[in-house]
Amino acid sequence: MKQIILIAVIAGIAALLPFVIGDSPYFIGVLISVLMMAALSSAWNILGGYAGQYSFGHAAYFGSGAYTTMILISKFNFNPLVSMVAGIIVACIIALITGSIVFRLRGHYFGLASIAVAEIVRLSALNFDFTGGAQGILLTDVTLWGLDLNSKIPFYYGMLLVLVLTLGITLYLRTSKTGFYLQAIREDQDAAASLGINLSFYKNKALLISAALTSVLGSLYAVYIRFIDTSAVLDLRLSIEIILTAIIGGVGTLWGPVLGAVLLVPLAEILRSNVIGDALVKHGVVSETSGLGVFLKENLAHAHVLVYGIITVVCILYLPKGILGFFRRVK
Amino acid sequence: MIQHLLHINHVSKHFGGNVAVSDISFSVDEKQIFGLIGPNGAGKTTLFNCISGFYPVTSGDIIFDNKTINNLRPDEVCHLGMARTWQRVKPLGSLTVLENVMIGAFSITNTTREAEEIAMEQLQLVGLTDFSKKSAGSLSIGLKKKLELARVLATHPKMLLLDEICGGLNHTETDTILAIIRDVRYKGATIVFIEHDMKAVTAVCDWIVVLNSGEKLAEGTPEVITRNPDVIAAYLGGGHNA
Repeated sequence: MKQIILIAVIAGIAALLPFVIGDSPYFIGVLISVLMMAALSSAWNILGGYAGQYSFGHAAYFGSGAYTTMILISKFNFNPLVSMVAGIIVACIIALITGSIVFRLRGHYFGLASIAVAEIVRLSALNFDFTGGAQGILLTDVTLWGLDLNSKIPFYYGMLLVLVLTLGITLYLRTSKTGFYLQAIREDQDAAASLGINLSFYKNKALLISAALTSVLGSLYAVYIRFIDTSAVLDLRLSIEIILTAIIGGVGTLWGPVLGAVLLVPLAEILRSNVIGDALVKHGVVSETSGLGVFLKENLAHAHVLVYGIITVVCILYLPKGILGFFRRVK
Repeated sequence: MIQHLLHINHVSKHFGGNVAVSDISFSVDEKQIFGLIGPNGAGKTTLFNCISGFYPVTSGDIIFDNKTINNLRPDEVCHLGMARTWQRVKPLGSLTVLENVMIGAFSITNTTREAEEIAMEQLQLVGLTDFSKKSAGSLSIGLKKKLELARVLATHPKMLLLDEICGGLNHTETDTILAIIRDVRYKGATIVFIEHDMKAVTAVCDWIVVLNSGEKLAEGTPEVITRNPDVIAAYLGGGHNA
């Protein structure tokens, strides 16, 4: 009950945020990225955090949603919501094929297979014609209920809605039979099976829920950006970023993935937009034309991957349960 | 008429060329406390794993409650009313004691509230009520064994397979567990248990099967078994007449 109120309060604050900060497209854009990563990571957390089945290929489900939606809208003029549902179906089919084969096995097989499946999906999208190949798909015009889809605001609320939905599902699962069963599977598969838990059924159930939510976010993202290619929506880097966000925030907790996204996405944004390099130059610490200045200008923008890596190593060494897990222990 | 609840019919289990269980047959009657004993490596746990669905048998049949269960998964076996504990206890470490037992209870109910009620009853039965909010991983071995027992009892089984439930416990703890086992049988469950502790076995069992090197060495009442020279030889080493 406490958590429901917390979700409502945080969602309420988030819903008011655009009115407070005004309609600066840049900040709204960053906030959309935060909400999207929080939702993606929370969706991954249902499978990875609660059921303990680490997927390294969630980009496959994100990409399925994005590609299905873009193809249906651009080529067949589908309603965006209908194509979103079609995206869920495609993602679930891929999830079901992967899960029904690999979940019979224990250990790291699912993790390995999830990478393989994600690469198969990526390479297929890169080489087929109907997916636009390496060129990707561009969407020139899209309409829904007369909403102004050129503005970022509808997507901000869309992402927020999916995040709240994901957190709500997680909360429901935690207090229901399925959630208990997923955690039992995470802790000890033999014990779980001997207590009457059908392992592959419940692992598949968690995978399907997770894949469907991830696919919805992919559809939303595609219509928001209006351009997708394999490096944007199917890359292994995306899968890794989703996992790192959850690990750093706190795996297997309701708020860990959200916390991870709130911390990491703005950090990546700061590094990517070279705020630090510009500030150093502006305050005369480094000259723009000096060797160091040029080096910073060229390389600092790519440093967010390095910083992610360093934070992850630090987290694994000192905060194995993530930032949220650390605070729980202190309390 | 007494009904056979479990019937083991010429069951063998091979791991490659290694014969772990060889052509074993016996029957367990309803409401019996049935002991399965034998030296280390006799094949007791292997046989348990076959019965509870973790290993497929190489040949033979396992019939439980008039159904052949050879090819069922562990969770299907559990839903038929057979629950097992583990020699090396398997607490779900990051969950609380209550949540551990609730997971057992979820096999007979779908609602969290009912599962909690069933779990609290079982915790009371084994005397773990005070520990319900503790993390299962933090318990001592004696309490973990009690937790295993409460967890399988929460599935309301017709038959319990207990794998060395008294192993590593002191006398008081053993006596508590044996009292619980007698109580459970009184309420209508059948119990098969593997045990090393001969005193524990002879104290509670109605019937005993002795395994040695994967084969059935003897069976009978505790009185008969403790006087059987083959059994004594198997336990104390060949040749001696103890």
